[in-house]
Amino acid sequence: MFKYLDPILHSQLRLAVMSLLISVKEAEFTFIKEKTNSTAGNLSVQIQKLKDASYIDVIKRFKDNYPQTVCKITKQGIKAFEEYVGNLQSYLGKV
Amino acid sequence: MMQPEKQLTEKESLDLIAQMINKAKDACHDTGVSAIMWGIVITVCSVVRLSELQFRYELPFDIYWLTLAAVIPQIYFSIKQKRERKVKVYGEAFFDYLWVAFGICMFLVSYSTGFIEDSLEQMIKQNATNVAQPSTFVFYEYISSFYLLLYGLPTFVSGVAMKFKPMLFGGLFCWICSIVTLYTPIKMDLILTGLSAIFAWLIPGIIMEKDYRKAKQGLAAANV
Repeated sequence: MFKYLDPILHSQLRLAVMSLLISVKEAEFTFIKEKTNSTAGNLSVQIQKLKDASYIDVIKRFKDNYPQTVCKITKQGIKAFEEYVGNLQSYLGKV
Repeated sequence: MMQPEKQLTEKESLDLIAQMINKAKDACHDTGVSAIMWGIVITVCSVVRLSELQFRYELPFDIYWLTLAAVIPQIYFSIKQKRERKVKVYGEAFFDYLWVAFGICMFLVSYSTGFIEDSLEQMIKQNATNVAQPSTFVFYEYISSFYLLLYGLPTFVSGVAMKFKPMLFGGLFCWICSIVTLYTPIKMDLILTGLSAIFAWLIPGIIMEKDYRKAKQGLAAANV
């Protein structure tokens, strides 16, 4: 039987954000925007959705007197991501 | 441009994950500047000291003070790199502490070997009048071995942890030289120390710098 694919992760931009964050300890908003080639507005909305699902932490602070937003994957996010990748692999194995 | 709600096929999802992980990896390249700088500094110190011995002259200062002066640009590079970096990677603190511990050990070894050398010289001078054949033991001949032992440690650990073979082999080269210098005269010790700095830091640093530039150019070309 096919496994359930988490709808929070099964979208292009949110998956891209999670894949970036799984590889690093934390990343600035500008870095994620640059690497995902997305607009600030789109990215903000998707980051908020990931935050609401408790998959990422969003930390707002100041760096050289400028506001800085930093994103960090949570334990729950890591678990969800691993499950998602496992389910994807089982899908592709069965196709 | 990425579509926020675009539904992906399973294959597309896996491809996207791999692509993003690679982008994150490329962003975490070390610039190699510190390794290049230390490779040059130690090589210059060894060559200058060798020329002092070979051509029998003495600089008005100890050339190894250059290593202490190099700490200033090192701190500057580290702060600059940290400020410019938009990501923090796992294990970053580990490498920072590893090299800080190395610096502290270098200072302590310089201090303790200097202390031992002075004590031995005094002892040999005091005993010279009591024995028929005064000792010809020169502690200075063996100092390189201690330093090379230390050079090898963080270099080897960094090479293994980063899966970066040039540094791993550089660390091993330092340890081999550490043993060899016990049996070679001081001039050869200095040549081996210089070569160790080239193999452990200068060459790996140049490779790191090339990789960093390549990754940067690759990302710029892909407009990401």
